[in-house]
Amino acid sequence: MKMINPDDLSKAIKELLTEKKIDLFIGWEKGSLPLSATPLFITSEDEAERAVFDITCGNNLSIYFTKDRKQFADKKVGIAVKGCDARSVVLNTLEKQIDRANVVMVGVPCHGVLDKKKVLAKTDGREVLELIDNGDTVTLIGKGYELSIDRSEILSSSCLACIYPDAQECDIFIGDARAEVPNENRLKEIKEFEALSTEERWANTCAEYEKCIRCYACRNVCPSCYCNVCFVDQNDPGWIGNTCEFTDSMIFHVIRNLHVAGRCVECGACERACPMDINLLLLNRKVAMEVKDRFGDIAGLDINGKPAMVDFKEDEKQDFIMG
Amino acid sequence: MANPYIPLQMKVQRIETEDPDRTLRTYDLTFVNESEKEAFNYLPGQFCEISILGKGESPFGIASSPTEKDYLRFTVNRTGSVTNDIHYLRNGDIIGMRGPLGNWYPVDDMKGMNVLIVGGGFAFTTLRSLLIYLLDSRDDYKDITVIYGARNPDLFIYKDEIAIWKQRDDIQFHLTIDNPVDGWTDKTGFVPTVTKEVSPGPDNAMAIVCGPPVMIKYTLPVLTELGFPDERIYTSLERRMKCGIGKCGRCNIGSKYICIDGPVFSMAELKNIPETV
Amino acid sequence: MNMVRLDKQNLDNFIRELSAEYSVYAPGNTGGKTEFIPVESGDEIDFSRTVTDMSPKGIFFPPAEVLFEYDKDGVRAAQTSHRPIAVFGMRSCDARSLVMLDRVFGSAIQMPDDEKFQDPYWKEKYDSSLIFGFACNEPLSTCFCNWFSGGPYNRDGMDVSVVDAGDVYLMEPVSDKGIEIISKLSCLTDASEEDKALLEKMASDAESMMTAPLDVEGLGERLTALFDESIWDEISAKCVNCGACTFSCPTCHCFDMQDEGKGEKGKRVRIWDSCMLPIFTMEASGHNPRALSRDRVRQRVMHKYSYYPENYGEILCTGCGRCVMVCPVNLDIREVLKKFIAYNEQGK
Repeated sequence: MKMINPDDLSKAIKELLTEKKIDLFIGWEKGSLPLSATPLFITSEDEAERAVFDITCGNNLSIYFTKDRKQFADKKVGIAVKGCDARSVVLNTLEKQIDRANVVMVGVPCHGVLDKKKVLAKTDGREVLELIDNGDTVTLIGKGYELSIDRSEILSSSCLACIYPDAQECDIFIGDARAEVPNENRLKEIKEFEALSTEERWANTCAEYEKCIRCYACRNVCPSCYCNVCFVDQNDPGWIGNTCEFTDSMIFHVIRNLHVAGRCVECGACERACPMDINLLLLNRKVAMEVKDRFGDIAGLDINGKPAMVDFKEDEKQDFIMG
Repeated sequence: MANPYIPLQMKVQRIETEDPDRTLRTYDLTFVNESEKEAFNYLPGQFCEISILGKGESPFGIASSPTEKDYLRFTVNRTGSVTNDIHYLRNGDIIGMRGPLGNWYPVDDMKGMNVLIVGGGFAFTTLRSLLIYLLDSRDDYKDITVIYGARNPDLFIYKDEIAIWKQRDDIQFHLTIDNPVDGWTDKTGFVPTVTKEVSPGPDNAMAIVCGPPVMIKYTLPVLTELGFPDERIYTSLERRMKCGIGKCGRCNIGSKYICIDGPVFSMAELKNIPETV
Repeated sequence: MNMVRLDKQNLDNFIRELSAEYSVYAPGNTGGKTEFIPVESGDEIDFSRTVTDMSPKGIFFPPAEVLFEYDKDGVRAAQTSHRPIAVFGMRSCDARSLVMLDRVFGSAIQMPDDEKFQDPYWKEKYDSSLIFGFACNEPLSTCFCNWFSGGPYNRDGMDVSVVDAGDVYLMEPVSDKGIEIISKLSCLTDASEEDKALLEKMASDAESMMTAPLDVEGLGERLTALFDESIWDEISAKCVNCGACTFSCPTCHCFDMQDEGKGEKGKRVRIWDSCMLPIFTMEASGHNPRALSRDRVRQRVMHKYSYYPENYGEILCTGCGRCVMVCPVNLDIREVLKKFIAYNEQGK
């Protein structure tokens, strides 16, 4: 497993800022908690050394382009991207949210990011005070315990199914970017879900969405969710109820799921952000798989392509249009 | 225990359309239950939450004066879901109402003083309440001057009453519109400019300002310039008040809740509150 | 009244006895997450986490609560009469949060005695409740209750203080209600002098585990002075304005009121809301006084550490650390406060 050399990353950022190729760099830095890195915004080359990339860098930073109504519209921005994050930048470029010419994408070699709930399951809920990323294994240290576990045991479900860990579109790559990486587990979770009976699928889905507290962390960390006014926030007409009752929550998640159909880059940020540990990615990935099967499109992969849902091909079956 | 979340039942008694575009309508409401009418005591400046069951509530300043005993008056600008439904109401319909909420203009402190009322657009509602209230005890107050501005002549509310007020010799009533219009004989120009022109002196005077945020923003400095001390300039703030009883947090600015600490604030108070004007 | 002890073997009996008169809530595990759930026996309780994932505020201020129902015959207040609530196992931070919330829901700033400004739904549940607090023997690294005059053994807001002392729970009544219930319950025995000494030692051990507190004296005034400074842009840059912090917070209490109904029948429900969400202050005209992320982050910080203290003399934060744990971008409120204090001390 070839991990990133942090010096190479800070050197690249330093160069971009020194040579004024960018006004701002968005990356990650060490967070206040051992399991979370935190987004980093720097404008001066002296700060470049704060940038890190490791198993704790789960945030998809491309969300910051659309925050506060395109806050960086007049800036040259450098951004650190994992494979999935790069797809978000591409998708948002195709959807005219980002001017690609103003963005310098810095790819980082990704071996997956952790899911806090999986870590806590490993420690039986005991607090983790230190995490050491050894590559294939990870060491977790807390009060009175030290655990060494396989990296794969705590990776986000999105990473376990990932085939594009490295940016397929980027300007600079720290190390050697891998092209598509075969992954036998690509569809494992989806196939397992599909194999269940209708009743079981319904029961699973209910159990998941019942947990929702409607905090919208999933929506707000999602790079594909950038509507100025989200459908849940519209009240004239009010499309759906805003209580935490199961029916209201489920409608929210299902509509969101369809809104990101063909647009979800499967980064898993939603699932990692969820304070209630809802399995949010499964349905999104199922829909992404359908889009791939029917339209041959993988969201955010081709900077010259067109997102599946806004594209039209004459040989499409289009049965949903023709009825 | 009284439940402040339960709306009273009110009956629509009279509806009047105020403008040619039909976006402004005035509603006179009467109490369905007589006992609730007795218990309902208010002063100019207070507001109510009006409910359309199934849609929700919106806050409206009370436009009638407590001296008008028979009804409560509200003027509703059609902007959103609730106000849209209010505009579909007909005479005799029953709707919900909670109130009176909030504080009021300092009518007691005004006694024996000159009063300047400055208003803009459809925010003249609580100013109407105030003006009627003052006129109904005319001898308690000295000179009363009113400056009322709107974008164009159509957008004044209470046009019939304005005609009467203008005839009275015990108030100075100035109307102004933003831009000249053929046949308009009153003033032309923005409210702050007109205020500068016609305002009485600050001695023994109280100024009450209510209107769109931009009007308030530029009128307050004019009053200061004219010599009104901060303690004698009052304005009414608008926010998206929801519960109306200082709980839900929507209208919180600084350490204040507009729904209970306001909506009426003196300029002296406003200076200590962030995010206001 | 003196300290009493409850053998852990007797916890189940204790809960059952309490259940005769009260609806008992305690920390439980629901699908991997810990929150306060109704329990009828000791086995349902899960004390494995120092801080439950969800705060206990929902017991008294539910995420969605029906205010009234209506139909063609009129409006009826939601049925509120139910058995009094007892909560077992509420940490010091959480017990304090209820005192803070009660100042808002139980009264109002200007009109403390006016019934019109009391929240009947909160009062009906909270005033008759019984809080068995639970001292913390193992504070987490995210705990900072000691910044705001709290502590792992603080007893504010409790009726009875409970300490886990190995095989037994040591209990001491804190309020009159506490004295009454302790004298009523049968499975308690008198504590010994050794128990008392043990408790004192445990308390000082727990306190020594806390990290050094930040000096928050005058924090509110400092924040007010910095209201218009650009530091808010820097602080809020990473915030994604979700409601995870506000919904997990034991003291955040803003809500929305929404009608749900069809035709002549329906209900008005109050729902937890969040000042982090742009819709919170959006006006019908489309104007939003807090349009930017910065405006909303500032509101939350100011409300907790400046506005509420100005009104009530105490910071609206218990230092439970939930917001620190759930924030998807690790915007750590402790770091934020430290930055503000440092910013000010530099004279700018």
